[in-house]
Amino acid sequence: MTAPARETTVEERVRQQIERTIQRSIKGLEYISTGDPAVGLTPKEVIHARGTLKLYHYRPQSDEVYRVPVMLVMSLVSKPYILDLTPGQSLVEFLLKKGFDVYMIDWGVPRPEDTKLRLEDYVLDFIPDCAERVMRDSEEDEVSVIGYCMGGQLATMYGALHADGPMKNLACFTTPVDADGMTLFKQWTDRRYFDVDRVVDTLGNVPPELLFASFDMLKPAARVAKNVQLWDNLWNDEFVKSYRMFDRWAADQIPFPGECFRQVTKEFMWENKFAKNELEIGGRRVDLGKIKAPFIHIVAEHDHIVPYEAAKPLVPMIGSEDKREVMLKGGHVSLVAGGNAIYRLWPQLESWLGERSV
Amino acid sequence: MAEHTTTADPFGMWRDWMANSERQWNGFLNDAMATDEFSQTMGRMMDGYLNLQKNMNEVMGRYLQLINVPTRNDILAIGERLSQIEERLDQIEDGLLRRDAGQPASAAGAPLAATMPRPPRTKKPARA
Repeated sequence: MTAPARETTVEERVRQQIERTIQRSIKGLEYISTGDPAVGLTPKEVIHARGTLKLYHYRPQSDEVYRVPVMLVMSLVSKPYILDLTPGQSLVEFLLKKGFDVYMIDWGVPRPEDTKLRLEDYVLDFIPDCAERVMRDSEEDEVSVIGYCMGGQLATMYGALHADGPMKNLACFTTPVDADGMTLFKQWTDRRYFDVDRVVDTLGNVPPELLFASFDMLKPAARVAKNVQLWDNLWNDEFVKSYRMFDRWAADQIPFPGECFRQVTKEFMWENKFAKNELEIGGRRVDLGKIKAPFIHIVAEHDHIVPYEAAKPLVPMIGSEDKREVMLKGGHVSLVAGGNAIYRLWPQLESWLGERSV
Repeated sequence: MAEHTTTADPFGMWRDWMANSERQWNGFLNDAMATDEFSQTMGRMMDGYLNLQKNMNEVMGRYLQLINVPTRNDILAIGERLSQIEERLDQIEDGLLRRDAGQPASAAGAPLAATMPRPPRTKKPARA
C-alpha cells in the first residue's frame, strides 16, 4: 500500500517543482516590472497637522463604537503603515471592524530643521496635544493609548508624566526599557568609540541609511536568506505580496531627529536611566510607577531588535494594579503585522482593550 | 517509518539547511560584532565619514558664499522660521476653533469628516 503512494508522491513532487520553476520565471519578471504594493489604505482623515506631524482619524467601520477612543503612537524610526499594511492585514482595520474608534499619530519624515526636536517635544507637547484633540474630536474625556516599540517608550513617558491625565488604558508592544538587554546596540554605541555629539553636530538628523544598516546588522545573514526564500516562493503570489510589503517597510526608515537621538543615546543607551527610573524629561522624573491606568505589554518570543531581556522590566515598573505581560510567538515585526499577528496579537488586544473601553 | 524517510523531500531538506545556516551565520557574525574591536573599527569608520562630511560642508559653504548663493544652513534657517509661522498659524486656527466650538461644526470651519454622522459610542464587549 505504501509503495504506490510513495511513487505518486515523488511524481507529484517532481511535477510540482517543474510547475514552480516555470511560475518562478514568469512571476520573477512580474516582480521586477511591478511597483511596490499600496499600503496604508484604510480610509482616514487628517484632523490635525503640525510640522511633519499628522493626526489621523480612521473612519469607523462598525454600527457602534466603544466609548473610549484609541490613539496609536508610533516609533520615531519607522513609518506607521506597518499597522495598516493592506486590507485583511491591517491592525487599524481590524480594530475598526471590532468597534474601536481609532486615531493615529504619524510623526512624518523629519525635515532638516527638525533636528532640534527632543523627547520633551514629543512627550510634553505633541502627544498631550494630540490626546486633547482626540478627546475633542470624539467628545470623550478619556483615551486609550497604544505604542509600538519606541512608540511604547514615548507612550509610557507620556503616561508617567501625565499620571492624572486622560489616559484610560495603555498597551505597549515590544517596548524596550533596559538598554543592557540590547546587547549589540549597546556595544555599537559604546561611548568610548561612538561620538554621538559629533554625529549629531555634523549630520543633524541621523540618516535613515545608518539606521537601516544597524537594524540589518542585527541579523547579517538574513538578507541573503530572505532573497533565497523569495526565489523559492516566487510562484506563490501571497508570499510575494507579503514579502514586498514587509521588505518595503523595513527599508523605509526615516531620519531620526538629531537632538532626540543624542538624548536617547546618552540617557537610554549609555546611562540606562529608563530602567533605573531616573530618566528626566523637561526637568521632571519619568517615574513609571506613577502609571495607574490598566496596562498590557505584549512581547515577542523571538524579537531580535528588542530582546526579551530589554522588555522584561517594563511591567514590574508600572504602578497599575491591573497590569500584565503577554509573550507571543513571533518576531519584532511579525508580532504586530502579518499572519502571525492576525491570530495571536490582534485578538488578545481586542479582548483586553474591549473590556476596558466602555 | 523507514519507507517514509526514504521519501524525504530534498527541497525540504535544503530549506532546513538554509534556515540552520542562516541561524549559524547570524550567531557567528553577531558574536564577532559584539566585540570591542568591532565597535572600535565602526567608530573609526564613522569618524572618517564625519570628517569627510564636515570638510565637504565647509568647502561647499565657502564656494556657495563666493558665488552669492544661499548655503544649506541659510535655507534651514528659513525653514525653521517657516515652521514657527506654521506653528503660530496653527495656534490661531486652534483658538478660532475653540472660540467657535459652540457653533455647528460646519460653521466652525471643521473638516468635512467632522460633520459626517458618527456611530454611537455604546458598544460593549461580547463577554461583558
